This record gives sequence, C-alpha cells and structure tokens, in this order.
Amino acid sequence: MTLKLFTLLLEAALSTLGISLVSIAIGFVIAMLLSAGMQSGKSIYILPARLFISFFRGVPLLVQLLLIYTLLPVIGINVPGIVAAIVGLSLCTAAYQAENLRGGFEGVPRGLIEAADVAGFSATQTFLRIRAPIALRLTFPALVNEAIMILKSSSLVSVVGIIELTKMAQDLASSTYLPLPIFASAALIYFVINSVIALLGRYAEKSLKGATA
Amino acid sequence: MLKRQFMKAAAVGAMLLATSLSAHADDILAKVKAAGVLKVGTETAFAPFDFIDAGEHKGLNVDFFAELGKDLGVKIEWVELPWDSVLPSLEAGKFDIVAGPATITKARIARYRMTAPIAEASVAILKKAGDSSITKPADIAGKAVGVGKATAQLEQLKEYSAKLPEKVNIKEYVSFNDAYADLAAGRIVAVANSLPNIAFVAKQRNGAFEVVTPSFGAKTYFGFIGTKDDDHKTLVDYVDNEIIAMKKDGRLAKLQEKWFGTSFDTPDSVPNPEF
Repeated sequence: MTLKLFTLLLEAALSTLGISLVSIAIGFVIAMLLSAGMQSGKSIYILPARLFISFFRGVPLLVQLLLIYTLLPVIGINVPGIVAAIVGLSLCTAAYQAENLRGGFEGVPRGLIEAADVAGFSATQTFLRIRAPIALRLTFPALVNEAIMILKSSSLVSVVGIIELTKMAQDLASSTYLPLPIFASAALIYFVINSVIALLGRYAEKSLKGATA
Repeated sequence: MLKRQFMKAAAVGAMLLATSLSAHADDILAKVKAAGVLKVGTETAFAPFDFIDAGEHKGLNVDFFAELGKDLGVKIEWVELPWDSVLPSLEAGKFDIVAGPATITKARIARYRMTAPIAEASVAILKKAGDSSITKPADIAGKAVGVGKATAQLEQLKEYSAKLPEKVNIKEYVSFNDAYADLAAGRIVAVANSLPNIAFVAKQRNGAFEVVTPSFGAKTYFGFIGTKDDDHKTLVDYVDNEIIAMKKDGRLAKLQEKWFGTSFDTPDSVPNPEF
C-alpha cells in the first residue's frame, strides 16, 4: 500500500471527523432543549419531546438519512448531501443524548435541590448552578460513548453522496485489489481517532469532577 | 359527512401540491446553462463506466460528460451515490441526469426517459481463471452466482435461471465490486454482469478471472437516465443528440475502444427492449 492511498484515507477521515464532531455538538444543544422540555412538567413540551426521541431512536439512521435526502425535496426542501448527513446524525444523536441527560438529571440527589430551595435559590438558579452541572458530570461518560458511536455511524453517510473514511476505503479496495491493507488502515485510523476522543473524555471528566467536587 | 370533508381536504391538498410543483416548472437545460454547472448523478462502483482509481473518479462516463460539458460550455459536477439511492435521488431533483448508465429495459422506459444507447449491455458470466466446471453459460445451473441488487442483469439472470434444468443459486450484492471480491474469495463461482463490465474486470485483474462467452439472454443496451417530466425534456434531448454526434464523428467509438478494448455498434435511438 502506497503513501498516496494512506493520505487519501486520512483525508476522508477528516471529513468523517468533521461531520461527526459538528453533529455531536448540534445534537447536544438539541438534547439539552429536549431534556428541558421533558422536565418542564408541561405536556405541550413533554409530548413533542417524547415523540422526537422515540422517532429518532426508533428508526434506523440509514432510513433517516435517506428520508432527509430524498423525501424532503417532495415538500420543496432540497438539501445538499452534506446538510442531509449532518442533520441526520445530529437529530439521531440528539435523541440518544437526551435520554442520557434524563438519566443524569434523575441522578441529582433530591436533598441538594431541597437544600437549594431552602437557601432561597430560584428554579433557574437551581438548574444552572446545581442540577445542570451535576447531571452533566453524571452524563459525561455516556456522552463520550455517544461521540464514539456517532463517529462510527458516520460511515453510513455515503448513502447521501458523502465520501468518508469507510466509503473511501471501499472505493480504494475495489480499484487497487488490496482490501486487506486498506481496510486494516481504515480500522487503525478509526481506532486512533476514537482512542483520542476517549482519552480527552477521561481528562475532561477528571477536571469536571475537580470543578464540582 | 366526515368522509366528504376529508375528501374535500384531500382535494385541496392535492391542488396545493400540484400548484406548488408546477410553480417550480422550469426548463432544466436553461437552468444548467445559466448556472454553468450540470449535476450528474452516478455510482462509482461500476467499472469501466464509473469507478475510483486510487482516489480519482474515472471511466467512460467521466470522459463522455467531460466532452459534453465542453460542447455545452458548462462544468460537470458529479454526485456519487450507492446505486440503490441513485434513481430515488434523481426523482428528488438531487441532480439533472444519471450517468449510471443502466440497461434499457421495459420497466425503466416506462418510468424514466432513457437516452440513446452508449454501449451494448448483454449479460455474460465471469468466472475464476482455470475453473473448468464452467465452460458455457448453462454450466452455472445449480451454482452460486453473484449479481447486483436492483439491476437489469439480475432480471436477465432470473429469467435465464428459470430455463435451466436446475435453478441458479442467485446472490444479490449492493455493488458489483463486492460480488467480484466474493468470486475471488471463492464464496461464489461466477458473477453475471454486462459484457463491457466483466471484460474490463478480467483485463484489470489479469489472470485472476475469465469471461465465459457467449452472452446469454436478450440483446440489451446501456443508456443514461433522465426523468420524463417536461422540465427535463430539452436536457435529455441534448444528451441524446450529443451521443449521436459523438457516434458520427467517432469520439464514442474511441471512448469504447479506450474503456472496453472494443467498440460496439449501437442503434441511434432507444430500441424496443425485449424485457
């Protein structure tokens, strides 16, 4: 396997990484909104949030991507492949992250909230200063896990015309007839990226613990 | 009563949809010229028409549309998708035309507007070199044969299989490249695909594979695919004329020679397919 082939794989890995990180970030914002909706106690927020979560957690990502790419144009929204890829991944991960956050918020000790109430904290203050930081800390390992899952799931976005690491590896393997070294290299690149994410995650988790201890 | 209201609502909905659709109506060729870009959809796992050679998109289609782009004065933008999503994406307006190309079949010309043929597409068998158990197409009876999912070759193979004394064990693949890989790995004994494709594969992997002649089934041709709607008519007409023009001045034969190692005599218009 030549250096040129490996460089091509690395270039494709960059688009895998870029799409995944952007989607994780957008997904996190949506997940926070969903989570806030679920905790609002008002059914006009809870029901749509539940529907969103069940839909995007219940339908395979591949089907979601194809829906966004080929069905939205029917109602006049013709999104390019890259947008379809990011929207699909973001909505899917948002549903999972919202469930993780729910677990985190449920894990906040009741006593702390009551104490805050007694100390005269407003609901917003309690949320921002006590519940959110603790929930986030509890959710963090799951969030890192989700980032790794999305990075691997991003191999599906080739169905909307995006060349990412897996598609590039397939194309190169079929034109060079060197499937073994090429797929092994692709596996190595995925492994290295995900290890770095896991390490950064552990580091961030430690400093989060320090900050809220 | 309720039913009537529902029907009314449905009628209004349909009218709204129809008007919003016709509001978009516009001549695609004019749009392409104005934008200076022709968007062409294809899959890149169909050598020698479209494939990735060490990261570069190459093949007869790339050369053909480069010529067409020159003549039309526009840039060509490729949208590369797995074959499964190429036709739905054409209907969704993701690109202007499909370079596919696809075998011209009855079902396809019923739904799409296909261009004049660019090559012959009759189906033949590719086997592992030195496999003496397959010397003629009929020898695949009862054996595991790979073919592309949702392809015309699959239809031809099914029809052919039904005529054999023992049915062929047909394995469907998302891309033909996977089928060739399984042939090399010995999971299947043959791949059924159009003659130009397997001739190219046999040439590329010198010594590993062999083509089993003659081809079987109906004589078929490859054409590019456009939609049947009025917006696309002028564009598909243009591509049609370009194919005829390139056939007349010998450019098409040269491309076929370059990519298949042989040139084909193809009809000037879409032939009436047998199946």
